[in-house]
Amino acid sequence: MTSLRRFLVRPQNLLALGLVSLFIFTALAAPLISPDDPQSPGIFRRVGRSSERTPQPPSPGLPLGTLPGQIDVFHALVWGARQALTFGLTVTLSAGILGSLWGLIAGLTGGWVHNALMRIADAFLAFPVIAGVAFLNQMLLSALIANGADYFSPTQGFIVEASGPPSPLQLLLSKVEPLTLTLILFSWMPYARLMSAQALRLKQAEFMQAARALGADGLRLLRSHLLPNAISPALVLAARDVGAALILQSTFQFIGLGGGAPWAAILAQGRNWIIGPRGALLAYWWVFLPATLAIALFGIGWNLLGDGLNDLLDPYTAQEP
Amino acid sequence: MSSFAKFLLRRLLAVPLTLFIITLVLYAGVMLTPPEARVSLYMPPNLSARLTEAQIANLQEQYIQRYHLRDSFAAQYGLWMGSLLSGSWGFSPALEEDVLPALLRRTPVTLELAFYSLLLFIPLGLVSGALAGWRKNSAGDGLLRSLAFLATSVPPFIISIILLVVFYINLRWFLPERISDSLRFSLEAEEYRAFTGFLTFDSLLNGRWDVFVNALQHLAMPVFTLSLAHWATLARITRVSVAGERRKDYVLAAQARGVRKTGLLWRHTFPNTLAPSLTSILLSAASIMTGVFVVEIIFGFNGVSDLITRSMRGIPDAPAALGFSIYASALTLLLTLLLDILLALTDPRVREEISQ
Repeated sequence: MTSLRRFLVRPQNLLALGLVSLFIFTALAAPLISPDDPQSPGIFRRVGRSSERTPQPPSPGLPLGTLPGQIDVFHALVWGARQALTFGLTVTLSAGILGSLWGLIAGLTGGWVHNALMRIADAFLAFPVIAGVAFLNQMLLSALIANGADYFSPTQGFIVEASGPPSPLQLLLSKVEPLTLTLILFSWMPYARLMSAQALRLKQAEFMQAARALGADGLRLLRSHLLPNAISPALVLAARDVGAALILQSTFQFIGLGGGAPWAAILAQGRNWIIGPRGALLAYWWVFLPATLAIALFGIGWNLLGDGLNDLLDPYTAQEP
Repeated sequence: MSSFAKFLLRRLLAVPLTLFIITLVLYAGVMLTPPEARVSLYMPPNLSARLTEAQIANLQEQYIQRYHLRDSFAAQYGLWMGSLLSGSWGFSPALEEDVLPALLRRTPVTLELAFYSLLLFIPLGLVSGALAGWRKNSAGDGLLRSLAFLATSVPPFIISIILLVVFYINLRWFLPERISDSLRFSLEAEEYRAFTGFLTFDSLLNGRWDVFVNALQHLAMPVFTLSLAHWATLARITRVSVAGERRKDYVLAAQARGVRKTGLLWRHTFPNTLAPSLTSILLSAASIMTGVFVVEIIFGFNGVSDLITRSMRGIPDAPAALGFSIYASALTLLLTLLLDILLALTDPRVREEISQ
């Protein structure tokens, strides 16, 4: 209880909770905050003629103005929160569960299994994420074309233009965003390292030996004794990873190597308007600032939450003034 | 065998082993595609210009037979590895070039960016982190912590946009791309010789100050972007370990003996706090390669990442994707190995930790 109170007293923790709940609230209440328009469904709502390239400044009804092609910035920003949160949580949960299991198996078995599993984790660490994005994009593309897809774009997924209903394999592959898959494949290693170290350490701990002596079986040992004691650093890592995943996704979207990051898509669509006429800084601020702030605050919020959880869950560092 | 030789041997052996695991996983990915797509790894260049579709299909079938592309994973992997080691990495249909020479030609561009980033962020991170940790909770410490926090929270691509707007569009101090057009021709002139492929080194060796200054103007923004986040991580970690070490008895004892602050920090305390910082540097070196490619794309450096984005224009291009993946991980491994050895030379504890 005291540690929870200490958590709530610190202003940066309150800021973290505030930011994270703001994004969760926006994601949940998106249909209420900015109702979908049946005329132009989707995140990028068109509110004028698409041939009109100049971004329009904020006006009543369009609180944050428009992008080139008259896309409503506010609408994209609000609905983007939903996608950002879904993406961050999907990547983090999948990577966290995959990595934790990997590490637990390695740590609990020990010996050569441990060495082999951790070698594989190290190999993944040595592999640059951007190569992973390029590679998986290419492999999915080849697999889809071989299975009869007509067209594939890294930003929109695959598109079957004619030739009947898609095959089950196509459907499966089309559901998986290459970037989501890549980021899961490249963020599980820290969890594996952490959990294997924890398992190696806790295996020998006295309370584990006591539980074993009292006749607890393997599953019970794992569930009631090992996991609760080993999981807290993984939780800290996970909180930070939600923000980190979004930032990576946004980066790849911005440089054109991936899709599904609406906030970065706002920046990419408006990139020629970030700099105003005669180099005026931020003459079209609504093209640049809202999306930038959303991405940065999303990262900051989860990062701070991770820091706060770290203090809350790790009594040793919390002692430090 | 001395502990250093043992360490060196272990680290050197780890590189091919890691590459072996990586190629195994990569080829498992290639197995997702049908033999008709896999065969593109071996097909000779520029077929579509010379042959009809039926002839190409016929040739494909021959290559599928020759490289056993319908056989087991092990057989296919072995043959592929063989051709990889003999230096034929295939012909990329999207780039219309052989993959390996194309990659190698662009390598110095990427390495130059990585080199200067490491050169910038390692000393800065160590020094600023140690100073802040030494005077914990001082005004300077607070400043460093907020700067470091911002640097790790704001995505690098947003920082690069801001840099471009301020320092290129408005001030014209720094420039995107690798070298200005007006100087590019002088590089192709006869009397200019490329020794290393690094523009900054070659220009000095050729005595061309104008090229040197120009190259630095072009390097400034990407190197800054790349260093910023890694500087922040390193400074934070160094700060925590120096602050912890400072309270130890031997430091107090030295202070009581009257050792001055500079000697106390840099000679007594700092060397003992290096281990966590060194780990952080190694991890940064691994992830800096990803950052190098991203920064290359944003600032228009025609390095390796330019190749890889061009190879992703809709036609399946397995040779380029595979080649880039192997190339990028090999480069990362070599960079990590290099730093690893440098660090082990400076700190015996790192050697022992790794050779255990």
